[in-house]
Amino acid sequence: MPARNLRKPRVNVSQRQTAKHSGKRFSTMNAPEQFDVIVIGAGHAGCEAATAAARIGARTLLLTQSIETIGQMSCNPAIGGMGKSHLVREIDALDGIMARAADRAGIHFRVLNASKGPAVRATRAQADRALYRQAIRSLLEAQDGLWIFQQSVVDLLVDDGCVTGVETQMGLTLSAPAVVLTTGTFLGGKIHMGLNNFAGGRAGDAPSNQLAERLRSLPFRVDRLKTGTPPRIDGRTVDFSVMESQPGDEPLPCISFLGDVGDHPRQVACHITHTNVETHRIIRAALDRSPLYSGVIQGVGPRYCPSIEDKVVRFADRLQHQIFVEPEGLQTRELYPNGISTSLPMDVQVALVRSIEGFENAHITRPGYAIEYDFFNPKDLKYSLETKALEGLFFAGQINGTTGYEEAAAQGLLAGANAAWKVAGREPWCPRRDEAYLGVLVDDLINLGTNEPYRMFTSRAEYRLRLREDNADVRLTPLGRKLGLVGEVRWRSYCHKRKLVDELAHVLGKRVLSPGSELATTLETATGERISKEGSMLGFLKRPGITLSGLLDSLSSDLDSVLPELAGVGREVLDQVEVEAKYEGYIKRQEGEIARVRRNENIRIPAALDYAAVKGLSNELREKLLVSRPETLAKASRIPGMTPAALSVLLIYIKKLSVVAQGLEKLQLPPTAADASG
Amino acid sequence: MAAIAETIAAVATPPGQGGIGIVRLSGPEAKAIGEGIVGGALVPRRVKFAEFKNQTGNMLDEGLVLYFVAPRSFTGEDVVELQGHGGPVVMQLLLDETVNRGARLARPGEFTERAFLNGKIDLAQAEAVADLIGSSSRAAARGALRSLKGDFSKAVFDLDQQVLQLRVYMEAAMDFPDEEVDFLNGGQVVARLGEIHEGLNLLLRGSTQGILLNDGITVAILGAPNVGKSSLLNVLSGEERAIVTDIPGTTRDLLHVDLTLQGLPIRIVDTAGLSDSRDPVEVEGVRRAEQQAVEADLVLWVSEAGREEIRVWPGSDNTIRVANKVDLTELEAGLAQRPDGQSHVLVSAKTGAGIDALRAHILEKAGFAGDASTFTARKRHLLALEEAMAALQRGQTLIAENLQTELVAEELRIVHEALGTIAGVVSADDLLGEIFANFCIGK
Ligand SMILES: Nc1nc2c(ncn2[C@@H]2O[C@H](COP(=O)(O)OP(=O)(O)OP(=O)(O)O)[C@@H](O)[C@H]2O)c(=O)[nH]1
Ligand SMILES: [Mg+2]
Repeated sequence: MPARNLRKPRVNVSQRQTAKHSGKRFSTMNAPEQFDVIVIGAGHAGCEAATAAARIGARTLLLTQSIETIGQMSCNPAIGGMGKSHLVREIDALDGIMARAADRAGIHFRVLNASKGPAVRATRAQADRALYRQAIRSLLEAQDGLWIFQQSVVDLLVDDGCVTGVETQMGLTLSAPAVVLTTGTFLGGKIHMGLNNFAGGRAGDAPSNQLAERLRSLPFRVDRLKTGTPPRIDGRTVDFSVMESQPGDEPLPCISFLGDVGDHPRQVACHITHTNVETHRIIRAALDRSPLYSGVIQGVGPRYCPSIEDKVVRFADRLQHQIFVEPEGLQTRELYPNGISTSLPMDVQVALVRSIEGFENAHITRPGYAIEYDFFNPKDLKYSLETKALEGLFFAGQINGTTGYEEAAAQGLLAGANAAWKVAGREPWCPRRDEAYLGVLVDDLINLGTNEPYRMFTSRAEYRLRLREDNADVRLTPLGRKLGLVGEVRWRSYCHKRKLVDELAHVLGKRVLSPGSELATTLETATGERISKEGSMLGFLKRPGITLSGLLDSLSSDLDSVLPELAGVGREVLDQVEVEAKYEGYIKRQEGEIARVRRNENIRIPAALDYAAVKGLSNELREKLLVSRPETLAKASRIPGMTPAALSVLLIYIKKLSVVAQGLEKLQLPPTAADASG
Repeated sequence: MAAIAETIAAVATPPGQGGIGIVRLSGPEAKAIGEGIVGGALVPRRVKFAEFKNQTGNMLDEGLVLYFVAPRSFTGEDVVELQGHGGPVVMQLLLDETVNRGARLARPGEFTERAFLNGKIDLAQAEAVADLIGSSSRAAARGALRSLKGDFSKAVFDLDQQVLQLRVYMEAAMDFPDEEVDFLNGGQVVARLGEIHEGLNLLLRGSTQGILLNDGITVAILGAPNVGKSSLLNVLSGEERAIVTDIPGTTRDLLHVDLTLQGLPIRIVDTAGLSDSRDPVEVEGVRRAEQQAVEADLVLWVSEAGREEIRVWPGSDNTIRVANKVDLTELEAGLAQRPDGQSHVLVSAKTGAGIDALRAHILEKAGFAGDASTFTARKRHLLALEEAMAALQRGQTLIAENLQTELVAEELRIVHEALGTIAGVVSADDLLGEIFANFCIGK
């Protein structure tokens, strides 16, 4: 890294260290004394942050409280799903590790919305927790320039408004000009079960209170959220024969662009059961002992992931609610009954679980609980996920108010990469809303903040038709390569696939389809479509219901004679050509909209702009601008209530400032049209 | 500043003013659009008389056309001005024609903004521009609000709700495929699209018939009894419409007169004097008067010149203070500053002194500072409705062709956003909120 000169001088830490835990001892592990980037926490955000920083070339240290829990899935054992798989594919396109680990750990894969269009198709994998941890750990260990160290961080080292490193529980001082904090729900965690509650992080983890105090002393806005988990169940005590079995998809999908079906371990089925009237009666009878309904819980829970007591109360007319019974892994019989997250007391949990079909004799291995925790208002972050208050400190994951492994990992990648770029003296980067769900995620968070755990959905993306799973590589891999995030192997594989796709699209675009020709009649009989006008084969693909792989199947014998172009082409390439053809018109149409937004994106608003001096703004808008202090005109345009006229006023004011700054106060005044006509 | 790709157009004369009307174009396509309309080549800085025709060759108006080449123009871009003789409706048609040929409606103050950005005006002028945009956007907002009153507004909001409900189903079906929720089947979606189509159609027909373009502002006259409110109504309307006596409490109910001020349609409402009377008729009259104060775009708060105000008006942004019966005092008629710093207009309903100043002040307060913003605000509503209709029809075709849900959803997003420019934008998060409120979703 050519950026030594950028570093702040090391604080004088040696006096703070005891002889027993000196810096020297640490350097015997053959690591540098000074790192470029330190990542705190080895959850999903931390692991992507650390590998991203290291891929860029930063000497990176990943600190974790326990090496055994690296890559731990602390909630349900699944990766992907609507909106989330889109994020995972984007992480993968930038050469991150989540998708590859999911392919190695996935024991049940499904493509959601397979019957709908590619833009809303999403892959989801049930993962074996142990295999997933192993996969993540070996991917981390294979990363050059990344050191892993088991230590609790107790404090941040700060010098002159900049982060300079961290201090650990054992009194070690570790220096780096950039620190990425990815410590999840550790802040002010409070676990609820019935009317009892106690301080704690995720089940089992000790909260690191000293670091929390340090962070609280900084000018970050802190808010409170809530989330919950269901009780886990011993599979040996469950009767699967009365449940609906849900097998995985055939053919087996992969999540990573580099994935291979051969990476997948043995596949198993999930099961579906339901709550019933009796379950609901049990829950209603116990509401007075629910921390949610007795007012003990103050944090806001997610609207899309309500607890079972919430569902029963809010949708009182429903006679049953669905439960997905997900396996926790191949080597364990433990099950995750997804859909009955609860914080009711233990006796009620037992009763409600046992009222459910198939669970009559179920043994609960771990009780469900709700956890309340603090998060930092993400409006205090920049696009790079660096905090506005403390230079060099980056936040990623649940501490920013998001939920979900995928949302965390995506932020981790971005924060880790930006930390590395900052140290190298390079510009920050974040994809735009029309480039990636990652862009939507960060843009939503830092501009709008959140008052519930933020989860991605495809409906959050106004450019959903272009932000697809299938083209995440087209959208991001070339960019990632340029930015130094994408390695040689992925880059070659990407270029190869792209070449095949472009060639096939070109050939099919040239292939004339004239009515009555042999090709046309063969297609007509195979598909039931009519070909009455001359067009190209690519044009034919735009018709609804026509797929290349479908044609391949129905034409198998005649293929060589009528469409020799398709022979031997891989399915992935066929699919890609077809999807791009089908969406082409829509994507073009969105381009005008995107161009308008982009123009505004290039116009920066000075951080210290005096909004009071901007004439012509309504008081209400002025207030909103003061609070959110948007960095660009595009961000300002997304403030609720913003009008085109107010944007003009802002634009003029900014331009005026820059004119003054350049000392070009005397602008020429040529004759105007108004003069000329008068 | 990077080149601005879009060509903008606006009516450059105050709406409704008699005589000449100007449609101004600025941007790279200005020349081509202008030449299309006049059917011939334009020569820079040469005034030419021409017929203005639409794309089907029908004559819309005739008049002068001027062409200024970038950078030697007001905005620093290519500028074309079409000066016709038609009234508002013809100007509107001419403006439509420029849009049909590829121009976009200018935002309030956008011409001046471009002039500034292209270095055509200096800093002091730019400040003035910002002020102008600020005030004209307020006028535009009021204009927009006016066309949002009553039936039109209700219809747009209803339609917006219908679209939202349909989107809730479609988006939920896509984002929550695992849930046991009764989503709409194809037939139900078709039926709902049909209903929205019908609603849009009604609105479009209604609005082209002039609902959008014809309503002006409401000015309510309020004050204590006997200060001369009814007399003011009469002098402003030029007719003896209201009964005037020297007995306080003459006017007991609302009375309105419609008139135009420099082409701006105005409804003036006379109200009962605000008194503390217990007489049930007067109590009701006062109640109606106070309601007018809230509903009207502008309030004339009348008192008697040189006398202590008997009632105190809370005073809001949209108030003009009028001191009547100035003929009974030594004071001079016209706009003046009061000792307390407030401005007021001194008039005499009896002699007519100061009435012209009052008229001018009303126009200024209504936001008609020589800008076509209100006019444009309404026109934008129409364009938004048309855009919504176009997207809706594409959606209906997609459904008929049995195309993918996400494409229909995309068209509905456009419908919704277009309606949102009138009814207020619904964010993705609001949409999700509706989904969670309607369906039991989540594992
Ligand atoms: N000298 C003079 N007298 C006026 C003027 N305007 C109104 N008056 C007289 O004032 C008296 C009241 O006039 P109105 O117009 O009926 O007053 P009003 O405010 O409508 O009264 P109410 O309807 O009773 O609340 C009449 O005798 C008018 O002739 C004015 O400008 N100068
Ligand atoms: Mg009267």
